[in-house]
Amino acid sequence: MQGWVTLALLLSLGAKRSLAQNGLGEPRGLTLNPDLPAQTLSLAWQSDSTLFDLEIFHTEFMNVVLNATVEVQADPVTGLHSWTWHSPLPLECTSHSVRIRARNQQSVSQWSPLQTIPGWDIPEKSYMFPEDKMIPVGSNMTFCCIVNEKEDFKEIKYGRQEMKATRLSRRSYAITVTNQPASDNTGTNVICSSQKFQILTGTVVFVGYPPGDEGLVCETRDLASAECSWKKGRDTHLRIKHSQTNYTLNGRDCLEANERKTWCSSKMWEENWTLEARNPLGTVQLTDSAQLTDRVHLLAPVNVAAVKVEAWSATLQWSWSVAAYKKLEMVCQLRLFAHELSSTRNYDGPGLSSVVLEGLWPDVDYTVTLRCGSKHSFWKWGDESAPYRIHTKMDRPDALDVWMWMDSSNTGHVFWKPLSVRKSHGALDGYEVSQSSAEEDGRNTVSLPPGNFSYPIILNNSSDVTVAVAARNPAGLSQPSTVTTPAYRADSQLSVSELLGTNGSFVLSWEPNVSASSGYVVEWFPTGCTGHCPIDWKKLPESDRSFTVNSDSLVAGVRYTVSVYSLSTGAPTLLQRWQGYSQEMIPSQSVSELSLNQTGSDVLLSWKATEMKQQRGFIRGYTIYLASAAHLDLIANITDPAVQSYRVKGLTLSSYKFVVKAYTSAGEDAGATVAIKMEMDTADMLFVGILVPLGIMFCCIILFSIFFYKKREWVKKAFYPEIPGPKVSGDWSSPRGPLDVKPSPHSLVHIVKNPEWDFTKEGLFPVPEEEEESENDNMEVDTDSDEPALLRYYNQVVGDGSHSNQVSDSSASSTASMGSTQTEITYAGIQSPSSSQGAYSGGGYRPQMQSVTGPAEPQIEFEADFQDDGLNAGYKPQCSWQLDSPEAENFSGSLGSPTSVTSSQFLIPESSEEKPQPSNTWFHNFLSGKS
Amino acid sequence: MEGAADSGRAAALARLLHRDCTRLLQLYKEREDFLSQHAPGGERLVTLALCPEAPSTAEQVGHVRSALRRCMELLECLIVREVEEMGEELQGEYESLRKTVKDRLGHLLHSTGALLENGEGGCPPSPPKQCTEDEVEGSDSFAAKLWTYRVLLELIHWTDSASQTLHVFHTEKHGQQQLL
Repeated sequence: MQGWVTLALLLSLGAKRSLAQNGLGEPRGLTLNPDLPAQTLSLAWQSDSTLFDLEIFHTEFMNVVLNATVEVQADPVTGLHSWTWHSPLPLECTSHSVRIRARNQQSVSQWSPLQTIPGWDIPEKSYMFPEDKMIPVGSNMTFCCIVNEKEDFKEIKYGRQEMKATRLSRRSYAITVTNQPASDNTGTNVICSSQKFQILTGTVVFVGYPPGDEGLVCETRDLASAECSWKKGRDTHLRIKHSQTNYTLNGRDCLEANERKTWCSSKMWEENWTLEARNPLGTVQLTDSAQLTDRVHLLAPVNVAAVKVEAWSATLQWSWSVAAYKKLEMVCQLRLFAHELSSTRNYDGPGLSSVVLEGLWPDVDYTVTLRCGSKHSFWKWGDESAPYRIHTKMDRPDALDVWMWMDSSNTGHVFWKPLSVRKSHGALDGYEVSQSSAEEDGRNTVSLPPGNFSYPIILNNSSDVTVAVAARNPAGLSQPSTVTTPAYRADSQLSVSELLGTNGSFVLSWEPNVSASSGYVVEWFPTGCTGHCPIDWKKLPESDRSFTVNSDSLVAGVRYTVSVYSLSTGAPTLLQRWQGYSQEMIPSQSVSELSLNQTGSDVLLSWKATEMKQQRGFIRGYTIYLASAAHLDLIANITDPAVQSYRVKGLTLSSYKFVVKAYTSAGEDAGATVAIKMEMDTADMLFVGILVPLGIMFCCIILFSIFFYKKREWVKKAFYPEIPGPKVSGDWSSPRGPLDVKPSPHSLVHIVKNPEWDFTKEGLFPVPEEEEESENDNMEVDTDSDEPALLRYYNQVVGDGSHSNQVSDSSASSTASMGSTQTEITYAGIQSPSSSQGAYSGGGYRPQMQSVTGPAEPQIEFEADFQDDGLNAGYKPQCSWQLDSPEAENFSGSLGSPTSVTSSQFLIPESSEEKPQPSNTWFHNFLSGKS
Repeated sequence: MEGAADSGRAAALARLLHRDCTRLLQLYKEREDFLSQHAPGGERLVTLALCPEAPSTAEQVGHVRSALRRCMELLECLIVREVEEMGEELQGEYESLRKTVKDRLGHLLHSTGALLENGEGGCPPSPPKQCTEDEVEGSDSFAAKLWTYRVLLELIHWTDSASQTLHVFHTEKHGQQQLL
């Protein structure tokens, strides 16, 4: 262990020896000189070397804040090396220690002893640094808070912003603020507070801008001195007095200038001017250069007065407050203000001090202001004088614009237009109207108050009347204006042309008239106007050929009568007349008296046009609509406005609503509505009620006929099946006697008693049983038996050839048994063949026909009929039943039964061998296709 | 009756002045908003340490008047400092009310002086101080702001005290005159 210590001492001694051998001496006499406001620390020392290592510490924590190598030459006079360090931290914040050593490449001397400047964190008090610092906007700054010995530090706030603090020493804390914004009026507060939210200390920093003034201009007001002004630049944000901007003009303090007053004066004119604006943050210089005569800015004229005032002119005088102006060539601008009569006039001359104002108007209040400037090298107008009031005198009024309008054959009005201010030349006292005619001597003069602008005239005879009108004011009477009664009437219906408005105006043109020596008059008034009409007119020189009546004097939707007259020495002459609308509108009222009249299926609509006042445009036509629930269907557009009716044809029986609208070029009116419910008239009812059903029925018959003809086979089968002819085999010439027929038990034969049986009919009939019993005693008839009763017929001819006219039917056939007390037979379901029996003599089916005569006669007829059957191949069923039919025996049991039987089958089955005898009726022929 | 009316008017004026001073401090806090967030410490600027005991109301009025007189000195100093610092250019509500308070405080001093016929309750005059050097502790702007705040607090305190004391004084005066 002792050996290691010895080695270390030897090495240390060796190192010192090597430094000494380098020849680099330790810097001597290091002194520190702090500049606290500038936050700089100046170091001075003695040394033979020029290169030095520097180290600066925050003493208490020995934090290195600078470690640099600098080359510093010695001052040749004092032999001292000096170097200045700018501290980012106020030097008061904490103690700083400095040491220095010389360096020669890699060789260094020993460090000088530490030199320390004490900070303010040693005394027992709270401080904050820097104090009242002024810095430009955007700069960075470090603030430190030195806390009192017994206080607990909490935070540092920059304005309202809490900052992160770093500890410099036991009692000192620092914050660094970057890019600082501009301060308020009294600066930005930086507050250091304790844990108890009490203010320990604080400081104020003023953040602003250097001066930004610009635009220096110097001028003279008195032709000797100078006044220089400039424009204020951006706000410096530095309000406290010792931070405000100071100004110097050509090196002289400009005390009158401040934040709001940006001008400075100099007693003598200098051709070159320099203004320097300075505040703690910077300086700006402004320059200007000009000759005095180029910068003359005159003061305002004083003592302005009107020395002579007339109706049309006035003389104005003034004086100057600067004597030097009297020789200055100047130009003055005089501004006259009056209602609708404002004007500006310029006058020039050396030392101008009076002018004569020409072209004024009588009885007008003028306000005059005056300002002047240097005529040569005009710089700007001088100050304006105070307003001065001039009231011109009155003068006689101008002549009136007079026109006459006749509203009847002998009455009319003389109109005149009110005089404007420019023409009345003073407040009017009234008017004087005088009337004269060629046949009467003298004039009748009437005075009217100033509010009147018309006067009625009455013509006593046919001669023209001349009326003269003059205006009167305190200055006198105007020249009279005359007008002669025109040989026309205002509402006369001379040839009137239609006039279309153009953009709300009437554009008129007419052919020149040689008699228009005094020009023309264009007159317009509402058409049809009576009484006090708003007559308007315009007098035009004779060279004019056209005129536009402006929309200002016209009302849209009102029909105007526009006339052009030629003026000469006598009465005006009407040249042309129009009627028109300046702007057409849709009618304000619909057509009137809209009515309708039904004629059959037609409806006649008729109406009357609206009155002219409500037309508001030329009626170009009418539109007729059929109104439905939701919309209108146009059915007619009548383009001739004279047509005021329309016939709607071919309407069916229903309800209708018609709308009639009149239209102008602007469009349709709202429309008038009329409704009707169509009813049938007598002829129609007759037609529809009788003829139409008849026609329909006829058509149906035709159709049925055609149908049945086409389907005759089917119909025949369905309704008239062919009845098979009876089989005739063997001898039909059986002896006369009763024919016993035993009906088939399956036949549905209903035997009914018909008290109305027509005995006039001929044919088969049952023989009464009493007679049978009397004549055929050997024949037993069991009436109670279930077997069909045996029907007994006489085999006799029912009738001869005349029986074809006899009509028989099934009922007749069935009633043939009415004579029986036991049975009534009805052949239901059997188509009656009786109708056909008349068509063929002796032909056809005649089964049970009986004669109306006695029983003997039918026998004869029946026999004869059978004899005819051979010729006609007719139906002879009874023979087959009794003689040939193998089933006759089976049926015989059921015949003669008193039971009512209804049969749906034909009694006589169809025979394939025997063709049935066709009916001889037309219908039968029709169905059979026979002609 | 005239004395009671004077005391009544003085009491009313003190109340009005107290409201003005309260509003003036409010305006100042709006300008220097750190005063609303933190409470500055420091000793009282106006005390009655030199004043003798004041058993009667009239003597108390005299003491309050002495304090108000001191407040007036401080207010005048405050105005001088602020005008010197900011110039005459700022003419907001604060500056206008500041002048009103000064005028009304002068009237109150005059009226309370008239109430005290024999000058009872007066305190020895405080030693004269130079406004810019002696009054304000510290020469920097922040110290001046804190000092202004404390002056305004003193104004509020003593005008309130004057209002109460003059009200009692007026009540007593009125009662005495009723008895007479």
